[in-house]
Amino acid sequence: MSELLVRAGGLYTTVQDTGRFGYYHMGMPPSGAMDVYSAVVANMLVGNPDGAGVLEGTYVGPTLEFTDDRVVAVTGADVPVTVNDEPVEPWTAIRVGPGDVLGFAMIRAGCRVYVAVSGGIDVPVYLGSRSTYTLTGIGGHQGRKLVDDETLPLGSGDGSARPGAVVPEELRPELAGPAELRTVIGLCSYRLTEDALASFLGTDWKVTKDADRVGYRLRGGKLDFTDREQPFGAGSDPANVVDLGYPVGSIQVPGGDEPIVLLNDAVTGGGYATIGTVISVDRDRIAQTKTGDVVRFTSVDLDTALAARRDRRERIERVRREIAR
Amino acid sequence: MTTIKAQMPGVFYRRPAPEKPVYVDDGEEISQGQTIALIEVMKTFNEVKADESGTVAEFLVEDGDEVDVGQDIVRLGEV
Amino acid sequence: MTEKIQLPPARYEYGGDEFVFVELDQAMSLEANFAGMAVTNALREEAIEGVVDICPSNASYMVQVDPDRLDPRELVEELRRLESTVGTLPDDYVLKTRVVDVPVLFNDPWTHETLMRFRDRHQDPEATDLEYAARINGFDSVQGVIDAMTSAPWIVTMLGFVPGLPFCYQLVPRDRQIQVPKYVRPRTDTPERTFGFGGAFAVVYPVRGAGGYQMFGMAPAPVFDLSQSLPDFADDISFPNANDVLRYRAIDMAEFESTRSEVESGTFRYRIREVEFEPASLLADPDAVNRELLEVLYR
Repeated sequence: MSELLVRAGGLYTTVQDTGRFGYYHMGMPPSGAMDVYSAVVANMLVGNPDGAGVLEGTYVGPTLEFTDDRVVAVTGADVPVTVNDEPVEPWTAIRVGPGDVLGFAMIRAGCRVYVAVSGGIDVPVYLGSRSTYTLTGIGGHQGRKLVDDETLPLGSGDGSARPGAVVPEELRPELAGPAELRTVIGLCSYRLTEDALASFLGTDWKVTKDADRVGYRLRGGKLDFTDREQPFGAGSDPANVVDLGYPVGSIQVPGGDEPIVLLNDAVTGGGYATIGTVISVDRDRIAQTKTGDVVRFTSVDLDTALAARRDRRERIERVRREIAR
Repeated sequence: MTTIKAQMPGVFYRRPAPEKPVYVDDGEEISQGQTIALIEVMKTFNEVKADESGTVAEFLVEDGDEVDVGQDIVRLGEV
Repeated sequence: MTEKIQLPPARYEYGGDEFVFVELDQAMSLEANFAGMAVTNALREEAIEGVVDICPSNASYMVQVDPDRLDPRELVEELRRLESTVGTLPDDYVLKTRVVDVPVLFNDPWTHETLMRFRDRHQDPEATDLEYAARINGFDSVQGVIDAMTSAPWIVTMLGFVPGLPFCYQLVPRDRQIQVPKYVRPRTDTPERTFGFGGAFAVVYPVRGAGGYQMFGMAPAPVFDLSQSLPDFADDISFPNANDVLRYRAIDMAEFESTRSEVESGTFRYRIREVEFEPASLLADPDAVNRELLEVLYR
């Protein structure tokens, strides 16, 4: 039985893959890696399928000890990485052996690190995914974040990892702020006044301390709703609508002053007016912003959103070719 | 200058709870691993531990201030 | 007879590149919910490649799409086509669904204990949640509001907020809908299986947790079972589906306890009957259709 020893769990480290789909209609969000690009590339570096289980660390990464020969790669946030306290390169496939310890120093930029190990983090598949959804306590490793001194099961690699493979600088994500989040405005944006919508797009929003996998709460302005007689069943608050579905990445403004961007572990629906949706590719970007960082919203149309998605796929395929060289 | 840095961003607290005394006072000696403050982030309160022993020369951050990763929070003086 | 509600033209919106959101009306009505149900049922049967999930909600619905396999614009074209056919609810449109008996112990000791702890967050700290609901809806007694909630069945209009939570809207005209605001400030605690009420929606809380709906009682049977140990949960962790017709039936403590022991021994099964009805008929004569639905259920 091959396993990975978790010496220290870090601040909030969970097992994730590319997400759990097909359960949104019953109220279960997809979970999955917040920064999909970094998670997929980490898997590629170690020769795993794109959707294998990886570890997602937040702010303070985990400390991991290997018990057999593996290839490991770290992607995502900009953070000094060490093996046995010696610096090693991120975005690189690194050979490790029994007793080797992978560790992290303090992050310099970004928020989330991804650790892929050849063979993948082989926790049981639950409802089609290895992703952790901590709110209900399902999936991943016992449905929760990692704690100190425990073990994780590893799968067996197929030997296709190429130690030394590197992702070129230009194919690593831009982490310097402020983050521009391309957003398709719409849904219930008619609830905001014209001035409020302009102000939403013109404001430098600051990420609050409550930003997590559920959603990012932001601060920096005040947005007014248009006056109306509330429709039947909508509730009395001007921010309320008849309960409806929330797209992943959608933005709501409960009190008019703190927009919330709903992310991978969010509620799937509720009674707050949604005013737009951050495009799927830029969820990778918001995932790498941290408390105190500045984000801005730019209005884009569906064409731009789809083009951005094609670009990301092309970048992923370029990485695949670079690694295979 | 030796300092203790914030390992994560968030809101900085010097006390375990509003009505409780501060973890450590200026001028107090602290030892490695001792809890000296809290940082609230992602809806949890996380203990800030001294990464080395020394004397607290001064706190560089006020109770309730926002801190960033890597920000100096305590300056340590000679033991 | 109440006037039939005319729906405005549906609004099609892109929720980024992965979701299409369709608002049928800004106000809640059976008409809006039935229209959404007709379109989402038809879409489900088409099994279009690239449709990841279909999420009916109260007066709207949402479709999750994989844009690498299906252009969201093509999906919207198809949804518009479905709207113009089944979405208008032609008189002969038949809904196939199931009708389910859901026992509830009203005024139970557990939600009573919880609601007493949170009186400072309630509109009327001197009354219980049920007393408050009875009063503001013009009933003489708590029994009056319980009778109103249990006499006509409900339809599951949406699942969500937390996994497995059914939003239920009663199959009666708007002027007979019971309405109760949510708590002034949300509670930090709600017992598992609480029968709750907020706006015009009845819910059963799948798990213990925070909540803002009024607490009226407790269901002995679960709506959500992660362990999938009960037979009704063999295929799915969540029991209710959108479109299910639920009849909330008031029970006494003796039945509550016997149902609990069936649940605990793993033998409990909901009383479920397959049923067909015409939404147009229900809108025209709700009492007659509701009588038929209950007849099928208890036959």
